[in-house]
Amino acid sequence: MLKILTGFAACCRAFDLRVSTSEVLDAARHLELVDPLDPREFKLAVRANFAKSRRDQSRFDFLFDLFFHGIRTDKDEALTPEIGKITQALRQSLSDDPMEQALVDFLDNEPLAFIDQIHALHTKEERPQKIFKSNMGQLSSKLGVMLQINAIKSKIMALLDQEAHGDLGDALKDHFTERMNRAFALATEEPREHNDALKEKSQAATGENLLKDKPFANLTALEVIEMRAVIEGLVRKLKDQVGRRFAVKNRGVIDIKKTLRNSGKFQGVPLNIAFKNKPPRKSSIVALCDVSGSVWSGARFMLTLLYSLQECFARVKSFVFVADMAEVTELFQDLDINDAIDQALGDDTINRNAPTDYGSSFQQFKHDHMNDLNQKTTLIILGDGRSNYLNPQATILGEMRERCRRIIWLNPEKINTWTTGDSEIASYKTHCHEVRTCMNLNHLTEFIEELVL
Amino acid sequence: MDFQSVDDVQKRLEQADYIASKEIATVVYIALATDKPILIEGPAGVGKTELAKAVATCLERRVIRLQCYEGLDESKALYEWEYAKQLLYTQMVKERINTVIDDAATLSEAVDKIASQEDAFFSDRFIQPRPLLQAILSPDPVVLLIDEVDKSDPEFEAFLLELLSDFQVTIPEIGTRKPVTIPVVFLTSNNYRDMSDALKRRCIHLYIDYPTPEREMEIVRLKLPTIEEGLLRQIIQAITRIRGLDIKKKPCISESIDWAKALLALNTTELTSETVEETLNVVLKYHQDTKVAKQALAGIVG
Repeated sequence: MLKILTGFAACCRAFDLRVSTSEVLDAARHLELVDPLDPREFKLAVRANFAKSRRDQSRFDFLFDLFFHGIRTDKDEALTPEIGKITQALRQSLSDDPMEQALVDFLDNEPLAFIDQIHALHTKEERPQKIFKSNMGQLSSKLGVMLQINAIKSKIMALLDQEAHGDLGDALKDHFTERMNRAFALATEEPREHNDALKEKSQAATGENLLKDKPFANLTALEVIEMRAVIEGLVRKLKDQVGRRFAVKNRGVIDIKKTLRNSGKFQGVPLNIAFKNKPPRKSSIVALCDVSGSVWSGARFMLTLLYSLQECFARVKSFVFVADMAEVTELFQDLDINDAIDQALGDDTINRNAPTDYGSSFQQFKHDHMNDLNQKTTLIILGDGRSNYLNPQATILGEMRERCRRIIWLNPEKINTWTTGDSEIASYKTHCHEVRTCMNLNHLTEFIEELVL
Repeated sequence: MDFQSVDDVQKRLEQADYIASKEIATVVYIALATDKPILIEGPAGVGKTELAKAVATCLERRVIRLQCYEGLDESKALYEWEYAKQLLYTQMVKERINTVIDDAATLSEAVDKIASQEDAFFSDRFIQPRPLLQAILSPDPVVLLIDEVDKSDPEFEAFLLELLSDFQVTIPEIGTRKPVTIPVVFLTSNNYRDMSDALKRRCIHLYIDYPTPEREMEIVRLKLPTIEEGLLRQIIQAITRIRGLDIKKKPCISESIDWAKALLALNTTELTSETVEETLNVVLKYHQDTKVAKQALAGIVG
C-alpha cells in the first residue's frame, strides 16, 4: 500500500502538484482510518491531503484516474507473465532515446518517467524567436511523441504475431492497445485548473448616445479630445481619494496603548503621544499594456489609465508590449501625459509593427522583471488576448499568479467575442483572479472605483 | 464523545441540523481523528461556517471564532500585553521597591535584586489572550473557527503556522505556551487569493460546492418542515436555473431558505411568473441581477 502511495506521490510531483513527505505520511495515516477498499473513501482521503486547493483538484483527478484506473487494472492473472515477457523483448530492441524507455516503463506499470517527460513537454518554454515566428515548437515535439507511440505499438503487434499466445492473444492485444491509447491521450490532452473563484465581468454596452457609453473604438477625433477632459476629471477624483487617505494619516484619536508604552521610558509620564495612524495601504501595482494594432483605439485610454495610476499610487510599474516588452515607468514619471503616451507608442520604445505575441512577451517579463512581483502586488493586464495563433504559454501566467496577490485582466472586447478567432483569453483566464470587459468610459470608471475605494 | 466512523459523523451532523455529503463527512472524520486543521474552500453561502458550528454542536464544544480582515495583526489574533495594568502596577509598587533594595550594600547588588523581580511585569498576569491563544489555553476543548482567512494579509499566515502544526504559541517575553487542550480547527476561504504552500501543507483540504438539488431540498425541508413538496421542488429548480445565469452574486442556500419562507408567508402554493417577479428581490441582492433575471423569467419558471 505504502509503495503505491509513494509511487502516486512521485507522479503527482512530476505533474507539478506539490506533495510533501509530510503529506504522504498524513495520507497514509488517514488511509488507516477509512476503508481503503471503498474506492470513494480512498480517493477522498488521498485527495484531502494531496490537492490542497480547488485549482489543483482537476489535475489531481486526472492523475488519480490515470494511476489507479488506467494502469493498475487488475487483468487476468495469466496475462501478467506474458506481458512481462513482451516488455522484456521490447526493451532489447530499444534505442537510447529516453522517451522510448519511458514509454516501455509506462507499459510496465512505471508511469513516472513518462508523466515527467509529458509534463515537461506541456510546460516547455518556447525559445525566443526573432525573425520567423511559429507555434510549431510544441506541436512538433508532441508529434514526435505520437510517432514514437505508434512505432512501439506496431512493434508490439509484430511481437505478438511472431509468437503464438493461444487464447491469450486477443486479450494481450486489447491490453496493449488500451495502454497505448492512454499514453496517446496523455500526450495530446492537458488538464486545466478549476478556477471557480474567477470573477468574470461582462458588461453590456448600453447604447452609444452618451460619451461615457461609447466604445473607445468608435470615438471621433473631436470626442477623443472631449474624452480626455472627462478622464482628467476622473483622475482628479482618484487623486482626491488617495490624498484623503494620506491626510487622515496623522490625525485621529490618541492611541492609548502606544502612548502608555512610550511613557514607560519616562517613568509613566506620557511625553510621547501616539495617534491611531491609518497608514495608506502599501499595495503595489504592476501593469502590462498591449499596444498592438488590434487594440490600437483602446490602447491610448489604457495608457492614460496607467499614467494616472502611477500618479496616485506610490509603487506602480508600467510596461507596454507587442511582441517584446518594454518598461515605461520612467517615461510616465518624467513626462507630461500626452508626451509620455506618444513616446510609449513611438517606435523608439517598442516595435509596433511586429505581430502581437503574448507568449514571448510574458516570457520576457518572466526573465527580466519577475522580482517586481510579490505577495502585495496586483498585476493588471490590459489587452484583448489576441496572439496571432502563437503559443500562448499560459503556464508562465500561472507562475506569475503564484508570486502575486491578484491578476486582473481588462479586455476591450465584449465577452461573446472572447472565444472567437485567435483570442487566448480562454487559456489565460484559468490563471486570472478577475477578467472584465473594459470598452468604454463607464467600465473604466467602475473598475477604478472598485480598485481604489 | 468523538466520532466513531464516517457514517457516525454524517448521522450526528444531521442531528445538529447539518446535512453533510459523504465527502464532507469523510474529511471531517479523518481530520478529527488525527488532529488536523481543515481548510474549507467554496463559494459564498454553501455552509462553510455552518459546518464548523454544527461540528461544535455535535461534540458539545464551544466555538471560538476569529473573523479575518485586512490589517488583522497578532495583537488582535494571538495575545496582547495589558499596558495600562502594567503601568498601574509599576506606580503602585514603586514604594515597595525601596524596601526590596534597602539592605543592598552596593549599587550592583541593588540592581541584581531588582532584576530578580523583573519577570513580574511580563508574566501571565498581564497577558490578554486573544482567540487563537484562548483556543489552546481553554480548559475544555473548543472548536476554533478562523473565518475568511483569505481576507487577511500574507504576514498573518505566518502567525498561524506554529499554531496549526503544533498547537502552541511562542511569546517572546515568556516562552512557549503549550496547549491545555487540542482544539478542532476550521479555516474557511472564499478564494480571494491563494493561500501559501506552508499553510496548505499543515491542513487537510475540503471543497464544498453548491449542493445537488436533492440535497438542497433536504436542507430546506429540514429548516421548513411545513413546506409542500411540489412548491419546494419548483423553488429549487428555479434557484438552480438562476445560478446558471450571468449574474453578479449567485443565490446561496440561505437565500433558497429565505425565499421559501417568503413564499410560505404569502401563502403561495405554486410558483408562477408573477410570484417569482414579485419576490425576486429576496433571492437577488443587486438591482442589475434582478434585471437580468426578469428578462430570463420564462426560462426560470418554465
